[in-house]
Amino acid sequence: MMELEGLTKFYGETCALRGVSLTIEDDEYLTLLGPSGSGKSTLLRLIAGLEQPDSGSIRLNGEDIASLPPHRRGLGIVQQNYALFPHMTVFENVAFGLRWREENPVTEEAEITKRVDAMLDLVGLSGFENRGVGQISGGQKQRVSLARTLVTEPRVCLLDEPLGALDANLRERMTLELRRIRDTLGVTFMHVTGNEHEALGMGDRMIVLDGGAAVMIAPPEQVFDRPQTVRVAQVLNAYNILQGRVHEGRFDHAGSMLPLPPNSEGAMHYAIRFDAATIVPPDDPTALIRATFITSEFTGGGVTYFLRGPDGVFEVERHLSRADPQVYKGGQELGISWAATDALAFDSDGELIVSSNMRGAA
Amino acid sequence: MSMQETTQKSALLKRNKKFALLAPGVIWMMLFLVVPLCMMIYVSFWTQTTFSISSDLTLKSWKTFFASETYFGALIRTIRLWLIVLFLTFIIGYPAALFIGQFVRNKTTQTVLLVACVIPFWTSFLIRVLAWRPMLGKEGAINIVLQKFGLIDAPIEVLLFTELSVVIGMVQIYVVFMVGPIAFMLARIDQSLIEAARDLGASSWTIFRKIIFPLSLPGVVVGAIFVSVMVLGEFATASALSGRKVNLLGNIIVTQVGSLKWAFAAVIGVVLTAVMAVVITLLLRVVDLRKEL
Repeated sequence: MMELEGLTKFYGETCALRGVSLTIEDDEYLTLLGPSGSGKSTLLRLIAGLEQPDSGSIRLNGEDIASLPPHRRGLGIVQQNYALFPHMTVFENVAFGLRWREENPVTEEAEITKRVDAMLDLVGLSGFENRGVGQISGGQKQRVSLARTLVTEPRVCLLDEPLGALDANLRERMTLELRRIRDTLGVTFMHVTGNEHEALGMGDRMIVLDGGAAVMIAPPEQVFDRPQTVRVAQVLNAYNILQGRVHEGRFDHAGSMLPLPPNSEGAMHYAIRFDAATIVPPDDPTALIRATFITSEFTGGGVTYFLRGPDGVFEVERHLSRADPQVYKGGQELGISWAATDALAFDSDGELIVSSNMRGAA
Repeated sequence: MSMQETTQKSALLKRNKKFALLAPGVIWMMLFLVVPLCMMIYVSFWTQTTFSISSDLTLKSWKTFFASETYFGALIRTIRLWLIVLFLTFIIGYPAALFIGQFVRNKTTQTVLLVACVIPFWTSFLIRVLAWRPMLGKEGAINIVLQKFGLIDAPIEVLLFTELSVVIGMVQIYVVFMVGPIAFMLARIDQSLIEAARDLGASSWTIFRKIIFPLSLPGVVVGAIFVSVMVLGEFATASALSGRKVNLLGNIIVTQVGSLKWAFAAVIGVVLTAVMAVVITLLLRVVDLRKEL
C-alpha cells in the first residue's frame, strides 16, 4: 500500500501540484485522468523519484520513501516515449534492470534468460529477442518498455500515457493486454492518461486531477455518473454544462427555465449528459431549450449532434442500437429535452448538490 | 535502331538524370585529388639524382626509406606521437564534452561553451604554436613561476625543444576537435533514457558505462578521425617547438621538397597516405557510423 500525503510541487512561481493526498492499494488498476497541464506527469515523476516534492510525504508500506533515490523505491516507471536503449537488442533492453541494478543484480546468465523470456512471452514478444529496437513497431516498443520495467518486479508500476503514441486500433488491443498482464502479475498499475475513455475503461479506481489537485477519487462508474465537481464533469467530456441561477424552483439558463433535481436551491451550474438529452421538434411540449443544428459526427455505434444552444454548443449523443440516425439541415431550429432526474446541479463552489432521490445514489 | 531501343535508351537516361548532380564534384575530385594521388604514387618510382629527376622507374627511393634509420624512425616517431596525442586529447576532451553535453541543460549555454573552446582558433596557427615558446622556455613563464615559488631550483629544460613540448602544443591545439563531436553526440542523448536506467536500478557509473559512453562512441570516433588526420600530417608544431630535433613524416616531406627531392618526398607522401587510410579504416571499424548518425 502506498500513501501520498499533501504532495506539493512548484516550478518557479507556478504550482504544479497542490497538496495531493491519496492511497494506492496493492493489486489494483488505478487510472489518473487530467487535462494537459493538470500536473499528472509531475505527480508520476514525484512518486517515481525523478523529481523531489517541495512538501508532503510518500510512504510505501509505512516506510517514507520520499528521500530515496528512484532505484531504491521498488517502483517502475514506463515512460511516454518508451525510452528504450537504442544500442541494445530487445533482450538486452529487458535484461538491463536485472543485470545492471545496483542492489542484488542477477549474475546467473541462465536466470536472466529465463526471466526475460518469460516476460517477453507475457507481453507477446517471443521471438523478438535479437531484434534491434529500431526494427520493431510502436506497439512492440511499448511492450518492450513495459516488459523491461515489469521484469524487475516493481511493487507499483507507473505508466505515463502508455497508449498515447499508439494508433486507435493498437490502443484498443493494448488496453486489453495491459489489464491481462496486470491480472497475471498482480502488481499495482498507476496509469496516467489524458483520455477519458481509457481512464474510465481501464481503472478499478480513477483519480481526476485538475489544476494540480486531486478533485475526485472514486470507481469509474461513480465518477461518470456523479462527478463530484463541475470541473470533473468538464474533464470527462460527457456533459453539457450550463450556467445560470435558480429562479422560482427552476434553473434559469439564459431565459430557458429548466427543471431541477430536488433540494438544489443554490445551483449555479447545471449538467446534462450528452446521451441523456434527445432532439425534438422546436414546438414539442417537452422541449426544454431551443437550439440550432450545426453539424453531426458519425461515430460508428452512434451519432453525435452539435447544436448551438442559448449559451454555447450543446452536444447530443444518439445510440444507433436504439434509434435510427436523424438528418438535420445546418441552421435548422430544434428543441432539446431530457428528464429532470438525469440533470445534475452544482453549487456556487462547483460542488455537486446531492439530492436524496438521485439516480444511483446510495 | 528500332523504336523500342530508342525509348529504352531515353528511359535509361531519364532514370539516371539525378547522377548529373554529382558531375561537378566528381570532376573536381578527379582533377585535384585522384589524378594527383596517382601521380604521387607514380613519381615515387622515378629515378632521383642529386639535381634532377627522370621518369625511369626504380625502387631506389623506397629502399632508401625503409633502410634509413632517420626516415623509418620518423615513421615510428610519427605513429608514437599520434598515439600519445590521440590518447591525451581523448582523456582531456571527454570529461569536458561530458560536462557540456550532459550537465549543461541549457542549449544556449552549451553553444556558448563550445564556441569558447574555439577561441584559440581566432589567432593564426603559427602564432598559437610560437606562443608556447615564451611559455615553456628555459626562462619562460612556467619556469619563472615555479622558481619564484621555490618549487624548483633550476629551470626545467625538458619543457621546450623536446618531444614533450611538441605533445603539449599539439594536444592544446587539437583537443577541441575531440570535444566538439563528443559533446554533440552526448547532447543528443534523450534524458529519458538516463531516467529509465536509473529507475531500473543502475548506478551512475553503470549508466555511464552501459548507456552514455556507448551512445557517445560515434562522437569519439569522429573526433579521433579529426585528430588523427591532423596530427599525422603535422609538421609546423614539430618544427616550431622541437627546435628541429623531432622530425615527423611531415617535416621530412617539407625538407625533401625544399631540396627538390621529389621522388623521395612522393615516397613519404604515399606512406603517410597509407597510414592515414589504415587508421581511418580501423577507427570506422569501432562503430558503424552509418547506423549511428
